[in-house]
Amino acid sequence: MTAAFALSPRRDCAELPASVTVLSARVEGRVPQDEVWEVLLARANDGDGAAFARFLQAVTPTLRTVIRRRGDALPPDQHEDILQEVLLAIHLKRKTWRRDAPVRPWLYALARYKVVDAFRRRGTSVTLPIEEFAEVLPEESSVVPLSGRDTEMMLGMIDARSAMLVRAVALDGKTAEEAGETVGMTAGAARVALHRAMRRLSGLAERMMK
Amino acid sequence: MSDPQSTDDLIRHLAQAPVPARFSPAVLLGGMVGLAVAGLVLYSAEFGLRSDLVTAWAHLPVQAKTVLPGLLSVIAVWLTLGSARPEGRVVLWPVFVPVTLAIAMAAYRMATAEGPLLSEAAGSTALACLGSIGMLSALPLALGVFLLRRAAPTRPVLTGALLGVATGAGVAAGYALHCTEDSPLFFVSWYGLAIALTGSIGAWLGHRFLRW
Repeated sequence: MTAAFALSPRRDCAELPASVTVLSARVEGRVPQDEVWEVLLARANDGDGAAFARFLQAVTPTLRTVIRRRGDALPPDQHEDILQEVLLAIHLKRKTWRRDAPVRPWLYALARYKVVDAFRRRGTSVTLPIEEFAEVLPEESSVVPLSGRDTEMMLGMIDARSAMLVRAVALDGKTAEEAGETVGMTAGAARVALHRAMRRLSGLAERMMK
Repeated sequence: MSDPQSTDDLIRHLAQAPVPARFSPAVLLGGMVGLAVAGLVLYSAEFGLRSDLVTAWAHLPVQAKTVLPGLLSVIAVWLTLGSARPEGRVVLWPVFVPVTLAIAMAAYRMATAEGPLLSEAAGSTALACLGSIGMLSALPLALGVFLLRRAAPTRPVLTGALLGVATGAGVAAGYALHCTEDSPLFFVSWYGLAIALTGSIGAWLGHRFLRW
């Protein structure tokens, strides 16, 4: 669990204003230009097989984590099958990515469709909000979490006790039990409150980005 | 039961595979409009446009009979294309603009008409209308679904339904130039039914062929 949790997804949305440029500038500052997903996929679609291989390798850890999280109901040995189905779909549909658009919203929507589909066909139904993908965004974006000011502002928009819980668990890395103790709640109640707070926060984040 | 090793193999394999064909909205539009217009031209060559088209065009219901389905068709095509991309967000309300206008028109006619409403709505060419719009929609719709298989709709049934509505409405707009029944009660009911029919067929085709 990183501090980026449910707030970071919106980082990848196209409608994000100035902060996106800041983010990509920072990311690209660290990552060599030719490892940026957009560049890789654009070159892949022009017929550069090596670039496509690197693109698939780059997105695989993210996909693997998403599938593992969703995969409780299935034996883990099927997870790799599902991963391969998603990779195949990325190949088959790669031309539907428009190169003037960011890759991530496209990729997550596609992967979400395939993962849900894969689990459904294996007899378990899952709901997979797109936020789930963002939670496990590649390390590069969790290194650049939501700026402290944004987080504080959003925490200011929910009630004080929930904010304390979120701060303790998501930002300071405490367990729900420890966090509950500090605000005088049982572990169970703390978990419920935390869950609700997270939902409200991601709702807020969504609205802020629209 | 695959292992990570075979995933690496898969990636290597995919990297060597040829780049798949691109979904082109222009080809879809061109192909579908072309087929629909060709069908309508053949149809008019056989059965003729209405003989009083030029004089009748001065009346609002006659204009609405072509303009409203045409508008619906344009909106539905636009939404189809939006919904054909994985990250596309679909807002459905624009579809209801022409639909609401049509229903309002029929309601107004219902309030002001003096004759028996039911026989006015039933008309005398209802089956020909349903049959013609259905037949003329078949080829364009089939082509559209075929081409959309290259796209990546994450709600294939919805995408198919929108495509069906677009096709049926577009054909209805053309068919209206042949049809001589000018009561809004008639054309809102029967064109509406025909479009709903092609929409349902589109939804089924979407379910059947547009999942990936």
